[in-house]
Amino acid sequence: MTSTDSKTTGAAAAAPILQIKDLNVTLRKEQELIPILHHVNLTVHAGEIVGLVGESGSGKSMTASAVTQLLPGGSKSLQGSINFCGEELTTKSEKEMAHYRGKEIAMIFQEPMTCLNPVFTVGQQLEDVICTHQHLQGGEAHARAIAMLENVHIKEPEKMLKAYPYELSGGMRQRAMIAIALSCSPKLLIADEPTTALDVTIQAQILGLVKEAADKAGAGVIFISHDLGVIAQVCDSIAVMYSGEIVEAGTAVEVLTTPRHPYTKALLAAIPGFTPKGAERLELCAIPGMVPDPREHMDGCRFAPRCSVCGENCTAKHPPLHVAGDGRSVCCWKEAEAGDTAITAS
Amino acid sequence: MTLPLLRLENVDKVFVKKTMMGKKSYIHAVRGITLDIQRGEALGIVGESGCGKSTLASLIIRLETLTRGKIILDGTDVTSLKEKDLRPLRRFVQIVFQDPYSSLSPRMTVEEILTEPLKIMTKLSKAEMHAKVTALLELVGMNASCLDRYPHEFSGGQRQRISIARALTTEPEILILDEPTSALDVSVQAQVLNLLNDLRQKLHLTYIFISHNLAVVKYISDRTAVMYAGQIVELGPSEKIMLEPLHPYTRELIAALPAVGKKLKPLTKAADMTENVAQERGCPYQNRCPLVDLRCKSERPPLAQFEPGHFLACWGVTKS
Amino acid sequence: MTFTERALKILKYNRLTAIGAGIVLLVILVGVFAPVIAPYDPNVIDVPHRLGAPALKHLFGTDEMGRDIFTRVLYGCRISVSVGIAIVCVSAFFGILFGSISGYAGGKVDNVIMSISDMVLSFPSMVLALALTASLGLGLFNTMLAVSIVKIPVYVRLVRGQVLSLKQRQYVKAARTFGAPPFWIIWKHIIPNSLTPIMVQMTLGLGDAILMAASMSFIGLGAQPPTPEWGAMVNSARAYAIDQWWYAAFPGLSILVTVVGFNLLGDGIRDILDPKSKQG
Repeated sequence: MTSTDSKTTGAAAAAPILQIKDLNVTLRKEQELIPILHHVNLTVHAGEIVGLVGESGSGKSMTASAVTQLLPGGSKSLQGSINFCGEELTTKSEKEMAHYRGKEIAMIFQEPMTCLNPVFTVGQQLEDVICTHQHLQGGEAHARAIAMLENVHIKEPEKMLKAYPYELSGGMRQRAMIAIALSCSPKLLIADEPTTALDVTIQAQILGLVKEAADKAGAGVIFISHDLGVIAQVCDSIAVMYSGEIVEAGTAVEVLTTPRHPYTKALLAAIPGFTPKGAERLELCAIPGMVPDPREHMDGCRFAPRCSVCGENCTAKHPPLHVAGDGRSVCCWKEAEAGDTAITAS
Repeated sequence: MTLPLLRLENVDKVFVKKTMMGKKSYIHAVRGITLDIQRGEALGIVGESGCGKSTLASLIIRLETLTRGKIILDGTDVTSLKEKDLRPLRRFVQIVFQDPYSSLSPRMTVEEILTEPLKIMTKLSKAEMHAKVTALLELVGMNASCLDRYPHEFSGGQRQRISIARALTTEPEILILDEPTSALDVSVQAQVLNLLNDLRQKLHLTYIFISHNLAVVKYISDRTAVMYAGQIVELGPSEKIMLEPLHPYTRELIAALPAVGKKLKPLTKAADMTENVAQERGCPYQNRCPLVDLRCKSERPPLAQFEPGHFLACWGVTKS
Repeated sequence: MTFTERALKILKYNRLTAIGAGIVLLVILVGVFAPVIAPYDPNVIDVPHRLGAPALKHLFGTDEMGRDIFTRVLYGCRISVSVGIAIVCVSAFFGILFGSISGYAGGKVDNVIMSISDMVLSFPSMVLALALTASLGLGLFNTMLAVSIVKIPVYVRLVRGQVLSLKQRQYVKAARTFGAPPFWIIWKHIIPNSLTPIMVQMTLGLGDAILMAASMSFIGLGAQPPTPEWGAMVNSARAYAIDQWWYAAFPGLSILVTVVGFNLLGDGIRDILDPKSKQG
């Protein structure tokens, strides 16, 4: 299995590319404080794909924005640490961050059309990125651009370079976007719902490309999606987010086969086709209600109002983070009550 | 056999596009589709974007006119009916669109949105309309307090519920669901899918459910039609299609389905920029097909019965 | 954020919009209450005091017949604003009508309407308005008519564009599946949803319409003396422009301030109605 390959490829596993520790983010919007992230911990190693999963409004994209320091407008307060290859990103100035974005940390998004400039060809945009960040000139840049497109398995790279974004299909655009993102050999790739707008067949191909980026280029990847099924296919480890908190984390196999947090269990059961064979017309397990507004203050667990196993403790006090073994953590009272090594989170 | 509620006979749709130079180019979006939909059945239509599944929906609901073929609704040929004569029949077939953000007018309250079809189609009094709309909202799991709010105050899932309620105002027999959950989160998708299954039982509706995700289609529908390049390439009971797919394209779709515990296949083929362009001659799927041979390149396979109730358009798959 | 909240916020942070709104409000109030505020009768001739310089008794001085220019400017406000509003309403009404027909029907109807409006737009609007007034005959009413006609195509293009894009929206398609007739769709869906750009265009167009009507009167085609119309006043003042500067200056300044006011407000309204545009 590829994940074990990448883990064993060296000592890189020891020094993570990205380490987020106890990150709290509060946005200020018109005199109102909106806490959007609470005590987020996340570690990404080289060649590892970390899945961030949760519903819209769970804070997964916000976590990515915090890493690139591209949080939405207004003043914000950031507490905790974001360590990228030994550098602390939280204290970097806008100018210093510009050096990281695009070069060291690359991003791909759900809708590539919003990132590709419609009036330039793919070639112009790709070569532009290569020229700015790698200081290559004309012919060299062109050769590199072709190599990059071959990397994302495009049969006729020359033809692709001459195409305008609108001439390409959704899948092809996403490939072009990935080629641009990878052109500077970033250490970290943030993929924010890169396949949500695509057909399943194309989705599989794009997922393959993301996996290759991690396996071959050795980039660490943060893969954001609302679909655990998609996450399951590519990720080495998974962090499940809910309302600005990571409620469960662990290796992909552990989280998927033995989910411990009721939210993770519910997300898994909501995937059609996950229900076992023969259990036809079984009700899909839908999670009632919605993610709470980040402004809403809650004493207890933020998932409690929607939780099927909600108990007395759950609405009264925030559950402690229960750490069960290496990299595996669950933030739920049920675990804490049963468990032994409970560490209070807040 | 009983008369089908909706019958499509050899339905074709060709879009004519004029280029800047005045040349015409033709896009064959839907090609020779013949389909019977029985009363109370849920038929799934699955395929990737551009395969013509949404065009087919537009044809059935007559937002587009057919190029060739016939549409027979409950024994009446509606193909050549003028808009005016079609109006009374419109209430029998309704549609729910994919995008929960563009399907509700941003300047109307929920009550205005829901009463609009009633104002157009019926002569109910204000009080009757209000009662009906309130009941409908409750039916889709929302309460009457939403009536004087605007669509932007709701989440995607709630908007989709409102869209469903609007489609139900005219008490349709057939509900076309055009990717109703594609824009939603998985957890919300589950809510909407459950709602759709409930509604179908309660109201004895006939569904035409369109999606690019076979797992979702299977969850809703009894029979599934797989479309590729404007044609149906496989049609059969959903269970069969999902578990024992015959057509190589169906197999590709199933292989691509993300699922927990399924490993991603490594990339083998390089993607061709023209890979999804269907061939005019022969089988439309020939470029991507692993079973392709000479016959596939010259002759278009017809949709033929493979085993009872299971139809297939492929030269390569044979009974064994 | 509600409409009023956003409006108040923009007025608070965007000075220019606030100034524009202030001017427009002032102009409208002055227009409405002109008879109450004005110290004199605008048409009473007082030859002994002709061409008097601004003084306490006559704030803006007097003209060649001894009429109080301040009074006449106040009354002119009334004429200019109502002329502007009338022009904008007439052209917007026909613009919306033809624009929605053109966009909705498409095909030949669209071709014909768009060809005509392109033709109108290809002329300099002032020249065309001049020619139209000349053929219709002198007078304020005919001037208004001419300017309105010339301005219709602006709204036709705007509304047609809106219709074409809104027609593709799913809620419009949904309405069609209920069998909604074209009139219903245009009235219930397309017009309400294209109101934002139409409103902005109308406010911006108001300044323009006032300016054009004044220009026509200045040339002598529009309002005829002794109507206290600003353009006509500037025209009569031409002979005295060098020695009696106040005669031309105050009506001219009124035109300038009013037009600028409407333009500033128009820009502001665009920001208020469109939550996506940047806010102050």
